[in-house]
Amino acid sequence: MGFLRAQTLQQREARLAYALIVPTFAIVAGLIIFPAFFSIWISFHDIGLDNLNDVFRAPFVGLENYWRVVNDYAFPEALVTSIVYSFGGTLASVSVGLMAALLLNQRFHGRGLVRAIFLFSYVAPVISAAFIWRWVFDPTVRGVANWTLMNLGVLSEPLAWFGKTGLALAMVIVFEAWRYFPFAMLMILARLQAIDATLYEAAVVDGANLWNKFRHITLPELRYVLGTLFLLRLMWTFNKFDDIFLLTSGGFGTKVLPILTYEFSFKLFDFGRGAATAMVLFITLIAFMFVYVRKVLEW
Amino acid sequence: MVRQAFGHSTERSVFTRAARFFAPMRIMFVLALVAFLFVVLFPFYWMIVSSSKTLFELSGRTPTFWPGNWTLEAYRILFEELNFGTNMGVSFVVATTTAVLAVVLASLGAYAVARLRFRGKGLMLNTILIVYLFPGVLLIIPLFAMLAQIGRWLDVEIADNLPVLILTYLAQTLPVALYMLASYFRTVPEEIEEAGLMDGLSRLGVIWRITLPLSVPAMASVAIYTFMIAWNEFLYAFIFLNNRDLFTLPIKLLSISQQLNTRWDVVMAASAVMTIPVIALFLIFERFLEQGLVAGGVKG
Repeated sequence: MGFLRAQTLQQREARLAYALIVPTFAIVAGLIIFPAFFSIWISFHDIGLDNLNDVFRAPFVGLENYWRVVNDYAFPEALVTSIVYSFGGTLASVSVGLMAALLLNQRFHGRGLVRAIFLFSYVAPVISAAFIWRWVFDPTVRGVANWTLMNLGVLSEPLAWFGKTGLALAMVIVFEAWRYFPFAMLMILARLQAIDATLYEAAVVDGANLWNKFRHITLPELRYVLGTLFLLRLMWTFNKFDDIFLLTSGGFGTKVLPILTYEFSFKLFDFGRGAATAMVLFITLIAFMFVYVRKVLEW
Repeated sequence: MVRQAFGHSTERSVFTRAARFFAPMRIMFVLALVAFLFVVLFPFYWMIVSSSKTLFELSGRTPTFWPGNWTLEAYRILFEELNFGTNMGVSFVVATTTAVLAVVLASLGAYAVARLRFRGKGLMLNTILIVYLFPGVLLIIPLFAMLAQIGRWLDVEIADNLPVLILTYLAQTLPVALYMLASYFRTVPEEIEEAGLMDGLSRLGVIWRITLPLSVPAMASVAIYTFMIAWNEFLYAFIFLNNRDLFTLPIKLLSISQQLNTRWDVVMAASAVMTIPVIALFLIFERFLEQGLVAGGVKG
């Protein structure tokens, strides 16, 4: 025990550091890292409601869960829908965010307030946002969108915005843009404000117009932040469950992989198949990120 | 003289050309700004207006943009008949507990990360941050199975167990909280802390008497931030809660909307009651919160 007392200051500090970080580490390890690995295990086993409280003795079924996922009639469509949704949603939210950032990069009265208002859709609870949208785009004439468009003569009869294949997918992408553009806006704005103003002054001396300045100064300067944003948003959109579940419940051509995962696990109570779907989702994402990071971001 | 005059005249023509160019630009700018504001704000305006309409106005064939007679009937139904107050209480308790625990635990961990040297720091930090990669839907299945198993071992009911729900929220929010607080602690001048150590304070004393008091704004913003995440969270609460009286607000709202003949005034009133506190918190603490929004803790 003697050497314990003879600890150096450094050793004591290290011990304190472990004590300080252990609670956080334990919670994250126990409730995220371990479940993540456990998910792989589950995807190779047959787990339903009957053996849920005795999971560790669940029968091993090899790749059967994966086989059943890939051969499920809903799978190919869900994969394609996922890709369309996440690329569409990402492109839309990043480009709307870019526009908003360019607007807010101008000086004008009340800029701080406008900037705060632009963030409303991002901080509001997703459930309220989804229900407001469903009400605004109600399929009958009492929906304000239908009523307005019919009165303007654009529509002759009410449209089921979230209840028509094709349109529903477009609508959830528009919702995605509405709700998540502020995130892109904030990151782009921070970068915009760091661009050296003398670059623009020099360009003006050289006779550059607005478009030239945007094309040859702003865009190159934003390249890195746009690349990162695209990756982050794509990752999050690809994994997104709440928004589509609340808007369409995955109906009308909006069934993405996370919804399929949910349906396998919590509607059919086939947890093995659900976990296998989640793994397919995860592997697709990792493969994409790997290519993207090397080819686009050139890390 | 000639040259000077020439120069002058070019300058002026550049100026007038700019003025002509800028006037349409200015109009386009204002139009774009108004369009943006409209698209962002209209849904919220429509939520409030719809929640205060009479049923007649709500389901008429011509929507009213400004109710003729404002009514609080929807709010009355919400609180008196649907017991919304109970669920607000649940949400408030869950979100507050998550926020307080997240700030306390993350402050301790963040201090270790920011100031102390220990083996395996990099690995631990990376492990904690890797959380960003894991989708919520991927985690909910193993979490559910794992907690069901542990519940059987300990003879604890996992469904409708608010502490368990709070624990899963902590796991989701601690990484960002740690990250935000650590980057704040690094901005506290190290000299002040060293002076404290010289004066005979222990490390814990330094943390308690110097670092934390200097970091109140950062801690407040992390608290509000985690509060908002827990208040808004949908998926985990949806899976873990079955008892109506323990529903957090998002699940309560879903259940109200799923009743036969959805009463949209009531759904909008519930949305308003859920959204307004969040927007208010955000507006009050906007300056502090933006850093966290950029850090992307919402994973949304």
